[in-house]
Amino acid sequence: MTRRLLRAGAALGLTAAFLGATAAPAAADPQLMGRCTTTSGVVLAVDFSHWGGPIYRSCGTTPTTGYELLNQGGWSTTGTGHDGPAFICRIGYSGHQNGKQYPTAAQDACVLTPPASAYWSYWHADPGAKDWSYSQLGAMLYKPKPGSVDLWIFGATNAEGTEGRPRVTADQLRAHNTRPQGDAGKPDSTDKASPLPPDVDTGPAPEQPTTKPPKTTSPEPKPKKTKSSVSPSPATSPSKTSSAVAAPRSTPSVVDAAPAADAKHDTGSITPVVIGAALVALIGGAAVFVARRRRRAE
Amino acid sequence: MTAVDRTTVQASATGPDPSPDVGGRRLPRALHPMAWWVWALALATAVSRTDNPLLLFLVLAVLGYVVTARRTEAPWARGFKYYLYLALTVVVIRVVFRAVFATGITSRDHFLFSLPHIPTPDWYAGIKIGGPVSLEALLSAATDGLRLACMLCCIGAANTLANPKRALRVLPGALYELGVAVTVAISVAPQLVQSVQRVVRARKLRAGKAQGMQALRGIVVPVLEDALERSLRLAAAMDSRGYGRAGRATRRSRHITGALMLLGMCGLCAGAYGLLDATAPAFLGLPAMGLGALLCVAGLHLGGRRVTRTAYRPDPWRLPEWAVAGVGVLSAVLLLANLGYDPAQLNPTFYPLTWPALPLVPTAAILLAGTAGFLAPPPSPAQRADAP
Repeated sequence: MTRRLLRAGAALGLTAAFLGATAAPAAADPQLMGRCTTTSGVVLAVDFSHWGGPIYRSCGTTPTTGYELLNQGGWSTTGTGHDGPAFICRIGYSGHQNGKQYPTAAQDACVLTPPASAYWSYWHADPGAKDWSYSQLGAMLYKPKPGSVDLWIFGATNAEGTEGRPRVTADQLRAHNTRPQGDAGKPDSTDKASPLPPDVDTGPAPEQPTTKPPKTTSPEPKPKKTKSSVSPSPATSPSKTSSAVAAPRSTPSVVDAAPAADAKHDTGSITPVVIGAALVALIGGAAVFVARRRRRAE
Repeated sequence: MTAVDRTTVQASATGPDPSPDVGGRRLPRALHPMAWWVWALALATAVSRTDNPLLLFLVLAVLGYVVTARRTEAPWARGFKYYLYLALTVVVIRVVFRAVFATGITSRDHFLFSLPHIPTPDWYAGIKIGGPVSLEALLSAATDGLRLACMLCCIGAANTLANPKRALRVLPGALYELGVAVTVAISVAPQLVQSVQRVVRARKLRAGKAQGMQALRGIVVPVLEDALERSLRLAAAMDSRGYGRAGRATRRSRHITGALMLLGMCGLCAGAYGLLDATAPAFLGLPAMGLGALLCVAGLHLGGRRVTRTAYRPDPWRLPEWAVAGVGVLSAVLLLANLGYDPAQLNPTFYPLTWPALPLVPTAAILLAGTAGFLAPPPSPAQRADAP
């Protein structure tokens, strides 16, 4: 019943959409981690260490946006009530804690814009870049370059960019293989992403790397397993720019996140809505009754 | 009949006809205005906690019921519907802004329609104007607006239910003259409406036939004259009651009062900033707030000494006042305590579309606040409309 209603609503919305638009939206392709190379695909890394989890990384095709990367292959986000879905307030991965999104509702209600002391900050590392750069665009506007790394970390940052920098280096997360590996049946991840909905402004196009491709690192073979825990050597200094105070905790482990099915979405039950509407009608009816009675008494 | 009539005797319990209320055994009387304000502000605090449309509509229904059941017949008690119009405006503005300044559409959204898109230059990429609009965006904007609308209606209910002229007496002495000015200002609109009604009625009785602009002239002139006469009368009444006299205050004590108040306000502002911004240094938070409050209280106390007032018939604070203020505060505490329900249910998300839940404890808390409609004594039976 519920589902039918929802579906009807969706159909209505889609029909209306088709009046003004022609193409339905679709997301870009999630890929196995081995399909990302130094020059193609984008590595998405999300740091759950704030809640005792690992850093997950997965691979997506280009062209894409930071938002699309975070909403495919089992990843999902929640925006805020105030800013809409474009402000990434919660991130979840269906392979981690059954797709539970962090921070939880008890930690942040995601109604207003989260404070600068506890939010998901967005960092990029272009191909060959040693250092992280704080994203100057929102997730829906930024288009990652092929071969780059997108990192989301949770915590506090300051305006100068000296606090709250990632504790992992870009080299610990980026793809090091020059050729796509694993699942050889598939073509290279250069295929175009499905078209976006009409009139969607995804911001300025990313600059194409004008410099020559970054020098290829030694093609060390990566493990074929899709979900292998690559423990980075903790001896490597986190980052030369990270402030000295940020070091005490050890860097979390990095886990490759395979494309997974989306966490099942429960549309909920219509019963509470019916009960709520009945309550409102009851109290409203009482108000009308009292108003009539007072008018008669006058 | 003056706005500053502090010694008015309320015509309570003298009405010849029985109270039109169900629980009519209680003597009709006006509830202490502060009780209504505490109730309404507590409910507004509770509303600020939730984004759940079911709970918000429930709050609106409860407000509507309490206002219809317990408002008096005074001019200010008929304004609740204007607050409802204002609330509707807030929701509409929120939805329109969300549609025009699209905050982005995701691939999983349900498209509704597309607005013409105005491209912005690259250096201005953060803001988009126009573009596709989704059902999810409109729904979440509407709920967000509804929350603010509910808070507005809470304030509106307090304004409707509480007698502003009697609320004035609760103000600290130092703010008394400010309060008088505010009261005079807010009672202008209802008095003008009354004037217009009276003049129109008089014209009808005299079988005035003029229509349109000519009739307007016949109405405006008497109304203006009436307003002038009224303000002259008010000024005379205020003068005879010693409004504006400095009392025994010396120039020095007035300066000290001013300095204390100014410093106190600065402290309160710094404290609020320190509490809201998590990155602010610790001494800016509670300590600054406490110091500011202390300075303000001292300033008010010092300033209050120059205005000495006596209450001829003080508003009583009895069991119904405790009960009404209590249920309001209790509902706010229940919604802020996070007990017995999932906090996610207070702020349901529409991405992806989900039916909102109706958590039991918050629902019960809002219904509890609604019992103010029974707990407050019935309002005094219809008085003359211009009675204070």
